[in-house]
Amino acid sequence: MAHEDDARQAVPNTPGTRTDGDGVTHRRPLRERHVEETVEVGVPVRTAYNQWTQFKTFPRFSTVVHGVEQIRPAVTVWTIGYGPLRHRFAVETVEQEPDAYLAWRGLEQNPSHQGEVEFRPTGPGSTAITVRMLLEPRGAARFLTRSSRVTRLTARLVRGELMSFKRFIEGLGQEGGAWRGTIRNGRVQHDRPEPPRSRVAQWPVG
Amino acid sequence: MQNPPGEEPETTLSVTPPKKWAAGVPAVVHALEYSLAQTSPRKTGVDLLAMNQVGGIDCPGCAWADPAPGRRHRNEYCENGAKHINDEATTRRVTADFFREHSVFDLAARSDMWLNQQGRLTEPMIKRPGSEHYEPIGWNDALDVLAQELRALASPDEAVFYTSGRASNEAAFVLQLFARAFGTNNLPDCSNMCHESSGFALSETLGTGKGTVSLDDLHHADLIFLVGQNPGTNHPRQLTALEEAKRGGGRIVAVNPLPEAGLRRFKNPQKPSGIVGRGTQLADRFLHIKPGGDLALFQALNRLLLEAEDARPGTVLDHDFIDAHTTGFEEFARHTRTVDWDDVRTATGLTREEIEKVRDEVLRSERVVVCWAMGITQHKHGVPTIREIVNFLMLRGNLGRAGTGACPVRGHSNVQGDRTMGIWEQMPDTFLDALQKEFGFDPPRPHGLDSVNSIKAMREGRIKVFLALAGNFVRAAPDSEVTEEAMRSCRLTAHISTKLNRSHTVCGDTALILPTLGRTERDVQADGEQFVTVENSMSEVHTSRGRLEPASPLLLSEVAILCRLARRTLGGKAEIPWAEFEGDYGTIRDRISRVVPGFHDFNARVTRPGGFQLPNPVNEGVFNNKVGKALFTCNESVVPRAPEGHLLLQTLRSHDQWNTVPYTDNDRYRGIHGSRHVVLVNPADLTGLGLAQGDRVDLVSVWADGTERRAENFEVVSYPAAKGSAAAYYPETNVLVPLDSVADISNQPTSKGIVVRLEPTLDRTRPAPA
Repeated sequence: MAHEDDARQAVPNTPGTRTDGDGVTHRRPLRERHVEETVEVGVPVRTAYNQWTQFKTFPRFSTVVHGVEQIRPAVTVWTIGYGPLRHRFAVETVEQEPDAYLAWRGLEQNPSHQGEVEFRPTGPGSTAITVRMLLEPRGAARFLTRSSRVTRLTARLVRGELMSFKRFIEGLGQEGGAWRGTIRNGRVQHDRPEPPRSRVAQWPVG
Repeated sequence: MQNPPGEEPETTLSVTPPKKWAAGVPAVVHALEYSLAQTSPRKTGVDLLAMNQVGGIDCPGCAWADPAPGRRHRNEYCENGAKHINDEATTRRVTADFFREHSVFDLAARSDMWLNQQGRLTEPMIKRPGSEHYEPIGWNDALDVLAQELRALASPDEAVFYTSGRASNEAAFVLQLFARAFGTNNLPDCSNMCHESSGFALSETLGTGKGTVSLDDLHHADLIFLVGQNPGTNHPRQLTALEEAKRGGGRIVAVNPLPEAGLRRFKNPQKPSGIVGRGTQLADRFLHIKPGGDLALFQALNRLLLEAEDARPGTVLDHDFIDAHTTGFEEFARHTRTVDWDDVRTATGLTREEIEKVRDEVLRSERVVVCWAMGITQHKHGVPTIREIVNFLMLRGNLGRAGTGACPVRGHSNVQGDRTMGIWEQMPDTFLDALQKEFGFDPPRPHGLDSVNSIKAMREGRIKVFLALAGNFVRAAPDSEVTEEAMRSCRLTAHISTKLNRSHTVCGDTALILPTLGRTERDVQADGEQFVTVENSMSEVHTSRGRLEPASPLLLSEVAILCRLARRTLGGKAEIPWAEFEGDYGTIRDRISRVVPGFHDFNARVTRPGGFQLPNPVNEGVFNNKVGKALFTCNESVVPRAPEGHLLLQTLRSHDQWNTVPYTDNDRYRGIHGSRHVVLVNPADLTGLGLAQGDRVDLVSVWADGTERRAENFEVVSYPAAKGSAAAYYPETNVLVPLDSVADISNQPTSKGIVVRLEPTLDRTRPAPA
């Protein structure tokens, strides 16, 4: 949540973006304390990106993601855990560019994590996927996780997840679905007159 | 369990200070007290533990959304939901003997509470022309009487088919199908009287008739406005969502003419802190606004936001959103800069400083949700007020993002779903075309009658038959005397009902009571046990499956009654498989999936845990209105005024009440006990009017037609209502709401802005109105 002294920057300042004086929004790498891992997968960038957008399938390859609910295009709810422990949290996709980029942030009032995923073609049939993640634990968690060991552990976890995704998509060979929309500032941009999902009753509801 | 009251209980008014918090242990005690007075501990346990659970019974009360499956509490209900469901599950029964004992005139003199307390209806009854009593009739004969009357009409438009928000999607779809196959679009509903203004304003500006938020949006909002709504009484489960928002650091601004307990503090009875602690403070700011001042408030806020942008260009408004997704901004901005602060002060009763503090809250918040209810919609300028709220949301891009949006809070469990299913007198051609393609008949195209126009048509003798699918139309409608006269002028009135109400007693020459299953009861048809579906206020569609044995073996489901009536009325006129529909509601859902947009694979998707959520186009970057973009509007300022010596009256519910049905004479949050015939007035106004607490007054409304509308013998209560306003209970004071006093554009009755004067009651021996 913004604070009193944020009034001058009251327009949402989303992670992974910066706004120039001309109002054009650009991607901005996370430069602060973060975890960064890259893996190269042996599928075209479109295939890798498309599969990544199928968040509900993450439990199929992930060891820590136990469930994902897609509330709407820009909002997902994730259940992660290890052993009997579970944590559920909502995530907002704040930026998304097909075949290129995706940035997220946690929706808790005090965000504990935000990050971005970059897709870069390295050849006609290969893609480098980079995950950058900034952890901002609060309260007791901040105290418990401030050691560099925790950061290394998180990096190892992210790398493991990326490797799992690599095995998953390379094994499948092609994506099981795709969402090709664009998101800016947490809001879906539409370049077609009417996306299929929006075909719902439009008459007034009293 | 207690027996129904034989006579009207005699109680006297006592007044205690208004409560400063809602729920807590008293909520549990009152819920159980009422439930156990109505039914057995076993039934109470069965229905409460199934209530709002996955695969369980959807609360027939309000339309508030349920948490996601796996996130629901074992006791996922509120005090008023518990009262409501056990009011339906009551073991009390209304039998043929009861009707032999009580004439229609006797029943018409009874209070709403007394009628409801008699229990569940058990068999079809008919009041024949000239008779003073209802008498039993078999189902076949009852439906034949109704079908013959319908077939004998000179035009299908001489019939009206009313729907209440309790009806399921399946029943609503079947009713509109029957009405249109019969040949009329006369499909008024309770939406006409509660959120019609919301539907019109949102459709015009955003291209969706529904709210844009989910529960998660409330949880993640930085700032929530609660405007013209009383969640503690009318949507108590909303308090849990507000509590979660507060826990996450969100703030709340409450805007209301009355400082309701449920806006101030919530003691969650499911948490230790709600039982022994102080609970959660809700409103961080309370704006004690005059009734109808909300338009001026949001215009003032919008002006302040524009001025803040002028002072710090590029930091206040969301230009990306405004430029890419909206139209009309420049004209709106020019218009808004002319908003007059003196008018704002007069309309709202608020100081500029108070409004500037809210502006500062807005500037500190990335994510804002505005919730509203009938305190907004039931004003003459309800539609412009909601348009202005949309302007407010759009200025900072508080639409289509997580934690933001417009949240009209609806009051009856499936009121939104019924409209989605086509219960509307003005359905668009796209829907009618789909109906034609699916069922092979030509639906009528001219628009039908809404609730207000139905009453006018009945009064003028243009309507001969009135059929109601649930509800209590006579008491829900405005201008009670006019509505009753209109209803009595019908040749036949018929009500599909679970319990007795005044609409059965104020009836046509012939009257039918068609008793039906309640939400709580098992519904077994030819194809086996059925479930129905509903859509909540946040567009989630899910199942509801009754668990209790029916109140009587002679009850038919709503769907069965309508299908049998349709077969008798239409014969082979349209090739619609009514018998198949009755035997297996899944076959209705198959048809819905092909007619109603967004319901593809209905049967498969609705049986998933929690059902499915209809997408909201706004959250997908789509604005399906005429201009294809979110629309800024210019709304003329309105300063509601009452002449010298008069007050602006709002009608409202008590805490012990569900819609038109009071459960007791108490309203404990407001400190009113033992009487509903009270009028709440600010102490300064009382002094100015020369009145004092305890005085007896008649409420007399003022309207252009010069007709005197009078609610007699009310006791004055000194209360912290906004200065210049008064409040009294609905439906007792509906008599004061002129039928012609409607909201611009939406034609919704204006039950929140009635000019009244208080005249000392001359004859105190006169009984208070029922």
